[in-house]
Amino acid sequence: MRKLILYLLLSFILSYGSYSVTILMIPNIIYKVFHYKIVNNQNVKDNELKHFDIPNDQSRDVVMPNPDFLYSTSFYDLSNGDLNLKGKMPDSTYWSVSFYKPNTVNWFVKNDNEFIDNNLDMKITLSNSDQENSIVSPLKKGFMIIRILVEKKDSKSIDYYKALQKSITLN
Amino acid sequence: MKNLSQNKILIPVVTLLSILLGIYIAVTKINSSTQNSELSIKNGNWTVNPNMDLKDNYQRAYIARIGVFALDEKEALYFLASKDSDGQILSSDFDYQIIGKPPKGRYWSYTLYGKDYFLVKNDHNIHAINKENFDINKPIIISSKRTEVNWLPSGNEKEFHITLRIYNPEKDVYENLESIKLPEIKRIEL
Repeated sequence: MRKLILYLLLSFILSYGSYSVTILMIPNIIYKVFHYKIVNNQNVKDNELKHFDIPNDQSRDVVMPNPDFLYSTSFYDLSNGDLNLKGKMPDSTYWSVSFYKPNTVNWFVKNDNEFIDNNLDMKITLSNSDQENSIVSPLKKGFMIIRILVEKKDSKSIDYYKALQKSITLN
Repeated sequence: MKNLSQNKILIPVVTLLSILLGIYIAVTKINSSTQNSELSIKNGNWTVNPNMDLKDNYQRAYIARIGVFALDEKEALYFLASKDSDGQILSSDFDYQIIGKPPKGRYWSYTLYGKDYFLVKNDHNIHAINKENFDINKPIIISSKRTEVNWLPSGNEKEFHITLRIYNPEKDVYENLESIKLPEIKRIEL
């Protein structure tokens, strides 16, 4: 009887422990899976920008994609120094730059209304900087998304926004 | 001697099964939460998860599962409905009309997602109705059958979700998520 109670107690502690660790790790696992898919299926390295087309029903990289957006993404790594994000952005539609930790928490977002003009010029760094365009990443590694709203889906509008999207660079 | 040998087998087995049980419960709980989460703010048939600082591990896991890489509530709100205004599961077997205006913000859109949270498959490549492509004089219709305007195809999804996104919502919206007036999703006969 004593042994049975001991086993039940051990089982409860281990189950609860693995439950808690799994809950804690689910966002990191989802992030890792996404990273793996992008690196292997899309052949994109860290610190490289991937410009995605407007999502459709074949898009399977991330759940709940917004079919009104052009997405550009990058898994960034500041191990080898700061990164500069530059580009010419639209001047009459919503666009934003957002950053995420490897546990998928969004730690920074800035949209077109918060930029002075449609020139995207940001430095991503690990150390505090007085430069107005710098943002300090809490971790060496993370993920960034640039969203451009494509309000009208005619081919002229899409081509225009795609050309702007392709002007974005990360170095 | 026999007891010792039994323990040698039993302890690793109990350990392994207990760990697997914990993992199974965690994954099942997060997956079932996507249908009916106690973590979400409820407003009619809509739910919304605005707390993107996400200090709670369980909530963070839940958000990562249903809407990874979402934005914080001042940037965007994501209202999710899996049931119509009468509490019935949304299905392509029926037609629906969205009645009422979306909350105020810079930009809004309605998007249909399947049970797997990916865009609903349809031959017309129509996945969203938004502030710009919406005809204000006509109702928004969700149906597997084509309608003239403001049509959101439900394809062949026996269960689907509608997401109402509000980008840069007004302060009054994200501070009153439980009480703001949200559109109704009414089952109709076309």
